[in-house]
Amino acid sequence: MIKNYLKIAWRNLVKNKVHTFINVVGLSLGMAVVMLISLWIYDELSYDKYFPSYDHIVQVMQHQTINHNTITQVDIPIPLGAKLRQDYGQDFKYIVLSTYTDQHTISHEDKKLNHSGKFMQAQAPDLLTLKMIRGNRSGLSDPSSIMLSSSLAKAMFGNADPMNQLIKIDNTLNVKVTGVYEDMPQNTSFNDVAFIAPWDLFMTTFPYLKRAATQWGNNSWELFAQMNPGVDVNKVSADIKYAKLRSILAQGDKIGASFNPVLFLNPMSRWHLYSAYFNGVNIGGKIEFVWMFGVIGLFVLILACINFMNLSTARSEKRAKEVGVRKTLGSDRKQLIGQFYTESLLMSSLAFAISLILVQLALPWFNQVADKQLVILWDAPVFWIIAIICSLLTGIMAGSYPALYLSSFKPVKVLKGAFNAGPYAKLPRKVLVVLQFTVSITLIIGTVVIFRQVQFTKNRPVGYGREGLIQAQLRTDVIHKHFDAIKYDLLKSGAITNIAESNSPLTGVWQRESGLSWRNKPAGLQDDFGIIPVSFDFGKTVNWKVIDGRDFSKEFITDSSGIILNESAARFMNFSHPVGETVKKDGRNYKIIGVVKDLVMASPYERVTPTIFFIIDFPGNIVSIRINPNISTHDAIAKINAIFQQYDPDSPFDYQFTDSEYAKKFDDEERTGKLAGFFTILAIFISCLGLFGMASFMAEQRTKEIGIRKVLGASVFSLWQLMSQEFVVLVSISILIAIPTAYYFMHNWIRHYYYQAALSWWIFVITALGGLLITLVTVSYQGIKSALTNPVKSLRNE
Amino acid sequence: MIKITNLEKFYRTEEVETIALNKLSMHVDTGEFVAIMGPSGCGKSTLLNILGMLDDPDEGSYVFNDIEVAHFNERKRADLRKHNIGFVFQSFNLIDELTVFENVELPLIYTGVPTGERVKRVEEVLDKMQIMHRRNHYPQQLSGGQQQRVAIARAVVNKPKLILADEPTGNLDSSNGNDVMELLTDLNEQGTTIIMVTHSEHDARYSHRIIRLLDGQTVMENIMI
Ligand SMILES: Nc1ncnc2c1ncn2[C@@H]1O[C@H](COP(=O)(O)OP(=O)(O)OP(=O)(O)O)[C@@H](O)[C@H]1O
Ligand SMILES: [Mg+2]
Repeated sequence: MIKNYLKIAWRNLVKNKVHTFINVVGLSLGMAVVMLISLWIYDELSYDKYFPSYDHIVQVMQHQTINHNTITQVDIPIPLGAKLRQDYGQDFKYIVLSTYTDQHTISHEDKKLNHSGKFMQAQAPDLLTLKMIRGNRSGLSDPSSIMLSSSLAKAMFGNADPMNQLIKIDNTLNVKVTGVYEDMPQNTSFNDVAFIAPWDLFMTTFPYLKRAATQWGNNSWELFAQMNPGVDVNKVSADIKYAKLRSILAQGDKIGASFNPVLFLNPMSRWHLYSAYFNGVNIGGKIEFVWMFGVIGLFVLILACINFMNLSTARSEKRAKEVGVRKTLGSDRKQLIGQFYTESLLMSSLAFAISLILVQLALPWFNQVADKQLVILWDAPVFWIIAIICSLLTGIMAGSYPALYLSSFKPVKVLKGAFNAGPYAKLPRKVLVVLQFTVSITLIIGTVVIFRQVQFTKNRPVGYGREGLIQAQLRTDVIHKHFDAIKYDLLKSGAITNIAESNSPLTGVWQRESGLSWRNKPAGLQDDFGIIPVSFDFGKTVNWKVIDGRDFSKEFITDSSGIILNESAARFMNFSHPVGETVKKDGRNYKIIGVVKDLVMASPYERVTPTIFFIIDFPGNIVSIRINPNISTHDAIAKINAIFQQYDPDSPFDYQFTDSEYAKKFDDEERTGKLAGFFTILAIFISCLGLFGMASFMAEQRTKEIGIRKVLGASVFSLWQLMSQEFVVLVSISILIAIPTAYYFMHNWIRHYYYQAALSWWIFVITALGGLLITLVTVSYQGIKSALTNPVKSLRNE
Repeated sequence: MIKITNLEKFYRTEEVETIALNKLSMHVDTGEFVAIMGPSGCGKSTLLNILGMLDDPDEGSYVFNDIEVAHFNERKRADLRKHNIGFVFQSFNLIDELTVFENVELPLIYTGVPTGERVKRVEEVLDKMQIMHRRNHYPQQLSGGQQQRVAIARAVVNKPKLILADEPTGNLDSSNGNDVMELLTDLNEQGTTIIMVTHSEHDARYSHRIIRLLDGQTVMENIMI
C-alpha cells in the first residue's frame, strides 16, 4: 500500500514540475531559516551553560538612584567582598572579587601580545570549574602567578612547555605561569578572558588601589560568587539587599547613602539574556531577540506551509475529477487521505534534505553577520530527532488541509458537471495569502525602520572630527613622562598635526562623579557628571567646537584649574553665563573658561552625559592623535609606531581608528538589521513564489473563461487587470493590516532610543507601493501570458 | 457582406501539415441565413473562426463589409469583431463564475456601453429569450437549453450584424434544439445575417442556403426555398 502511495506521489511530483518546484523550494527555504534560527536560539539559550556550576553562580549587582532615576550596575566597591564573606559566608561556597575584563600587555622575552584578561581572587578557577590542561585550579594562590588560556599559551610559547615560564604584565608585574586552561567558548560571558592573574598582586602593586580597598563609594569592580548547594538565591538576594547601605551609613557617608544602593544577586542564567534594566526593573534584554527571531522563523516556515496548502487546494479543483472517479471506483476516504499525506511528506522530506545543504552553505555568512560560531550538529542524535520530527510535522501540517479538503468531495457533485467549489471555498486560500503578505510587509517596514534608525544615528553630529583621528591606550606612564619630547618628534616627522592625552577615549566616558557644587545649585539636586581629564591640546586635536568662552591654553597659567563644560553640563548647571562661574569638586575650586558643543562619547542613541573637561595632572590612559592629512595613513602610522617604540620599547603600540571605534557602537543594531533584512527577503521571496504559483494555477484554470472573454471583445489590458486584481486586492488588505501592526511594534522598539528617527509616513507609503509593485510583477507574467493566448486554442480544449 | 476568395489555412504540428481550408471561396449577403455542413474534420469550425476573425488565414482574401481584413492585426480584428459579430457555440461557453445577467452583460462592457443602458439592453434581451426569471442563476443551475438561450442572448445583446453559430443545437435535445432554431430564425427575420455550422439536415432546413464542405473545399451549394 505504502509503496503504491509513494509511486503515485512521486509521479504526481514529477508531472507537475512548477508546482513541485515552488513547493519544495519554498519549504526548504522555510526549513533552512528555521534551522538557522533554531541553531542561533539554541546557542543563545545555552549561553554560559559551559560552566558546570551554572545553576549556582551569581554576580552581585546594585541599583543606585540619582534624581529619581534608578540605574542598575554590575560595578560594586571592594569592601563588599569581605563584608559578604563575613556576614553571609555560610550561604556562599566561593566569593571572588575581580577587575573588569581589560586589555593588558603580556610579554615573555621579546614577545609582546595585547590580550584581555582579569585579575581575580584565588577561587576563581574553582568557581568557573576551569578545565585545566596544565597545572591545577589552585594556581592563583601563588601571588605572582598567571593562568593562561590554551590559545594564549600557544600564541606565547608555541609548542614549548608554558608551565613556570616567566611573564611580565604591562611591563610591571612579574609572574610565573601556573596553569593553562581550555579556552572558554564563544557563548560564555568569559569568552574573552585570555588570562587570569591574582587579585592581590594587582591590589598591592598600585598605591591608589590601597585606598580603593576601603572605599564604599568606589564602584569599579566586579564580584562573582557561587552559592552553597541548597541555598535559595532569592532569599540570600533579599538578605544582602541593604548590606552596602548599612556599611555606608556606619561610615557616616551621607552623599553615598543618598544614592540608596540596593544589592541583589543576579544568577548566571540571567546574565546574557536579561541584562537590560529600566529604572531598577529588569526589562529583558537579548531575550527579546530570541523571541523576535523565533517568531520570525516560525512565520517564515508558516509562509512556506501556506504556499503548500494554497497550491495544493488550488490544484484540488483540477484533481476533483480524479477524486470523484477514484471514489466511485471504491476508494474510501482514508486511502485518499493517505495518498495526499504521502505526497506532502515526500515533498517535505525532499525539502528537509535540501534545507540541510542550504544551511551548510549559509552558515559561514550567517555566523559572520550574527557574530556566532554555529555549526550543524551532525553528530548529535537530538538534532536529528528534532529535525526529523519537525519536518514530519511540517509535512503533516502542510498536507492536512488539502488531504482533508480534497478527500471530502462528494463524487456525485463532482462528476455531474464542472466542479465548482462555490465562492466560499476560495476564502481560506485568500485568508492565507493575506496572512502571508501581512507578515512580509510588516517585516519590510520593520527592517526599513531599523536601518533608518541606525543611519539616522550615524549621521548624528558628534561634536568633534572623527576622521583622521587615532587613539591608543597607554598601559604605563612612560609616554606621559616623555610626552612633550614625543610630541615634538611626532610633529617633526610630519606624521601628525596634534596629539593629546586624556583619561577616557573619545568613544567612552570612563569616569563619573557626583557631589560637585556651584553657585545656586538647588538643594537636593543630585548630580552625575562625566569627568574627563585632558591635556591642553585635546580640543585642538579632536576639533571640538567652542561655543562660549575659549579653549584651554598654556598661555594662561590659571588654566590648570580651569574647566570646560559641554553644553549638557552647562544646561544642567543652569547658568545664563557659565563662563567665569566656579565649580567646586573634592574641595577645590575650578573656574569655567569655556563651553563646547556636546561630544557624543558614550552611546550615540542616548542623551549626551553632562561632562566636564579638566586639565590632566597625572598619567592619562589614552592618547588621541590627529594624523597629518597630507601624508598617507599607512606611512603616518609607521612613523608614529617607530617613535612610540623608541620611547617605550616594552609596550606594543596598539591603536584604533576613532571612527571605526565609533562605528562599533552600531554593531548590535546593524546586526539585527541585517538579520531582519535577510529574513524579510526570504519571507517576501517565499510569498512571491506562492503568489506566482497561485497566479499560474489561476491562469490555467481560467483559460476557458479568458478565451470566452476575448471572443466577446476583451482587450489584453482588461484581461491582465482581471487576472491581477484579485491579488492586488488581497495584498492591499494585507497592507492595511500590516501598517498598524508594524507601526505598533516599531513604535515600541524605537521608544527605547533617546535619539530616534521619526516613523515617517513615507516609510509606510513606499513599502505599500513596493508591496503592490512586487505583487503586480509576480502575477503579471501569468496574466499577460494567458491574455495573449489565442482564444481558439483555449476553447478547442473544452 | 462577406466575400472570401481562395482562402487557405494550414495547421503544422511537428511532422504533419494539415490543410484545414484549401482555396475556399464563397460569399454571404447581408440578411442571409446560411448553413455550413460537412463531415467531421472538413474544416467547418476553422472557417467559422476565420469568418469571426478569431483566427487569420494563411493565404487568400477575406472582405468583410467591403474591407479587406485578412491581414488585419489582432487589435483591429478585435475591434471589428466586438462591434459586428456575435458567437454561439455548441458547448455554450458561458463563464461559470458569472450569473446569467453578468454573462450577457459582458459584450456591452467590452464595447463601453454605459451602465444604465447596459441594464436596459440585457433585460430586454433576456426577456426576449424568456430567461428573465433566471437572471441571477449561475450557468450550472440551468438546463442545456436554457444555457444555450443565455449564450444566444449574449451573442445578440450587442445587436451584431452577423451571428456565427457552431453547432448551436449539438448538445440539446430536439425540442430545445427547435426552440433555438426558432430564435435564430426570428433574429434573421429582423435583419441579422446568420452563418451556422450544423450536422443536422433538420436544422439546415431553417436556412436559406446550405454550403457543403469536403476536405476544406466547397463541394455544393443548395438554395432552400
Ligand atoms: N489547432 C489545430 N492544430 C492542428 N490541426 C488542427 C487544429 N485545428 C484544427 N485542426 C485540423 O484541421 C482540420 C479541420 O478542423 P475543424 O475543427 O475545422 O473541423 P470541423 O469541420 O469543425 O470538425 P467537427 O465537425 O468535428 O467539429 C481537422 O483535420 C483538424 O484536425
Ligand atoms: Mg467543429
